[in-house]
Amino acid sequence: MKYLPLLLLALIWEAVVQLGLVSRDLLPSLSDVAKAGWTLLREGDFWANGAASLYRGGAGLALAIVIGALAGIAMAWWRAVDALVGPLVEALYPMPKSALIPVTVLWLGFGDGSKILLIFLGCMLPVTLGAYNGARSCEQALVWSARSLGASRLRVLWDVVLPAALPEIANGARTALALSFVLLVSSELIVARAGLGYLIGFLGEGGVYDAMFAVVLVVAFLGFFADRLYQRLMDRLLAWRA
Amino acid sequence: MARLTLRFAPWIAVLALALAWELFARSGAVTPFMLPKLSTVLARIWGDAASGELWQNLGLTLYRSLAGFAVAAVIGIGLGFAVAYNRVMRWLFDPLISVGFPMPKIAFLPIITLWLGFYDVSKISMVVFDAIFPVVTATIAATLAVERELLWSARNLGASERELLREVVFPAALPQIMTGLQVALPIALIVCIVAEMKLGGVGLGGAMITASRFADSPGVFAGIVEIAIAGYLLVRVMARVRARLLAWHPETEAPATV
Amino acid sequence: MSGSAQITVESVSHTYRPARGRAVLALEEVSLAVAPREFVALLGPSGCGKSTLLYLIGGFLPVEQGAIRIEGAPVAGPGPDRGVVFQHFALFPWRTVRANVRYGLEKLGLARDEQERRAQAYIELVGLKGFEDSYPSQLSGGMKQRAALARTLAVDPKMLLMDEPFGALDAQTRSLMQAELYAIWQRTPKTVLFVTHDVQEAVRLAQRVVVMSARPGKIKATVDIALDRADPHIYRSAEFAAKVDEIWGLVRDEALKAQ
Repeated sequence: MKYLPLLLLALIWEAVVQLGLVSRDLLPSLSDVAKAGWTLLREGDFWANGAASLYRGGAGLALAIVIGALAGIAMAWWRAVDALVGPLVEALYPMPKSALIPVTVLWLGFGDGSKILLIFLGCMLPVTLGAYNGARSCEQALVWSARSLGASRLRVLWDVVLPAALPEIANGARTALALSFVLLVSSELIVARAGLGYLIGFLGEGGVYDAMFAVVLVVAFLGFFADRLYQRLMDRLLAWRA
Repeated sequence: MARLTLRFAPWIAVLALALAWELFARSGAVTPFMLPKLSTVLARIWGDAASGELWQNLGLTLYRSLAGFAVAAVIGIGLGFAVAYNRVMRWLFDPLISVGFPMPKIAFLPIITLWLGFYDVSKISMVVFDAIFPVVTATIAATLAVERELLWSARNLGASERELLREVVFPAALPQIMTGLQVALPIALIVCIVAEMKLGGVGLGGAMITASRFADSPGVFAGIVEIAIAGYLLVRVMARVRARLLAWHPETEAPATV
Repeated sequence: MSGSAQITVESVSHTYRPARGRAVLALEEVSLAVAPREFVALLGPSGCGKSTLLYLIGGFLPVEQGAIRIEGAPVAGPGPDRGVVFQHFALFPWRTVRANVRYGLEKLGLARDEQERRAQAYIELVGLKGFEDSYPSQLSGGMKQRAALARTLAVDPKMLLMDEPFGALDAQTRSLMQAELYAIWQRTPKTVLFVTHDVQEAVRLAQRVVVMSARPGKIKATVDIALDRADPHIYRSAEFAAKVDEIWGLVRDEALKAQ
């Protein structure tokens, strides 16, 4: 199986700790981590914090994708919008989005709002760029055909340009998805009072390392599975692309 | 005239943004706390530069990011070659790389802190962990893509296996490896800054988070501008290095930054 | 052809086993003998295994069934005795023309100024004087192939293995290069094994044309070409046309099968 090396790594982990080669204080055994994780799920704050993270990440990402896609298409379709918004996008693209963590906290404090704003601002750019490129590359012939068949300009946007831009938007959204995880975890680690990132820090400060490891692994693998799931979904939805 | 505009277009964008910022801040639509004037922020940066604080923070952040980047580059390229050439290495590392890539690796910072403490080593290690991925994947792809006719020609002309790696594979793979390095550098910078935000202390990240704790709005915005400029300069330097090393390459193009 | 053969191919078969998909029999029981300083063309439709045969002789692919001997000794890998020229030039893009041509000479361990002298001589031989310090990306297709030729000739190989070397060039350049190759061969006679799918090219250059069948490749026929190439009008003569027709007749069925 392709993922066999990971299984081997897990076995080595367990063995190394059980054999006493590494101190339990530094590296809890895999079995301890699993037990602590299970306890957290059953009776700990995992679900409350998980819900907070999910809400923030989901809301921020949804806003980023919807508004980002619309902005990108608008920029590609109307020159005036491109002239106005284009320079903004260009100037902001190279800036690392995590640098916005302190300023969102300044504006909205330690709660959900700052995280949602951060993810929205940070994740919008890849989607906008994808939508822009996707809409631009939409064949002129397709647009003209639709117009000649009686569609209004706005209808053409919805019926022809948007679907044509979908593959690129999907690509941008994939980047945005991974970025949203990074921004969410980063901000929750540093400036939060709830959420999975906060939970990791909290457990760490409390010295409950096996539970901390458990949450770290859960969060890391959530990021991995989200990406895989997204890929599967997009392959299905965009099957017409061949 | 059109050529000139094209060349300065990014600058026009930045200037337009700067102007919009200053005007919007002056308009009174938002409080100076929410959005300090650009002039205030720039004055603040100037002040920090004069007092030496800017250089202290910037210097430390650059030291940590570049050290991490260098380690990631060396280990990443070496690992990339090993994985491309050795079937066992490939079997071992392929799943690690494909699983690790989409993970928010910053989540491992508390573990790294547990193992390595709160100082430079842990920050640099976090940078290495994050930055190594694009380097390894680029190196593997580049090595596997070297045209076999190049290798055959070299062997035909008398090259030994070891000479092949050094004299043919490495230069042939270099363009794509450079691209991987160009992607890794901004990652190194921002991961370092996030780690600094978490662990505090001296550095651009630490300074920014302290500023936000003291509700020092100009300080926070100054940090953003400093990071943006630092990131931009690093990218430009990399582009120059690439142009120099790859002068022979038909398409010398820097990739978009993250 | 007098003298003992320089290249002997005895009942060689070769199967490609890709990582995914079915195995493909590329060559089936091919036997061939090439005498020293002979110019032999390997002609056949695409996929007939002619390049594969060349790669086996060149030592790039292992001989699994049958035997290939170079001057009596079995092939043990690539070497400067069998110079190779590829269709897509395979020049080192990070080296200038001069540095490319010098590569084989570096491997031979010659003194630096000897390397420079020889490299310059071969660069001029192929007509690239003035372009010594250009990079391959700055050269046209024809120039790249000349550079590749110079690089291979510089190590003075006894044999030349050429894999559709002019296939990537436009028609006019191809014609010029054919004439130049022939002139070089006349001046420094080497054994040449020349792979092509172009009947005219084969008849133009070779003393013997080996026609291969469609996959799996077998030798279908061998045609000797005895044209008076010193005569400048020979390529428009009836003799030439007749030879081309004869060989095209042999190739045509195979070309259709390969479709």
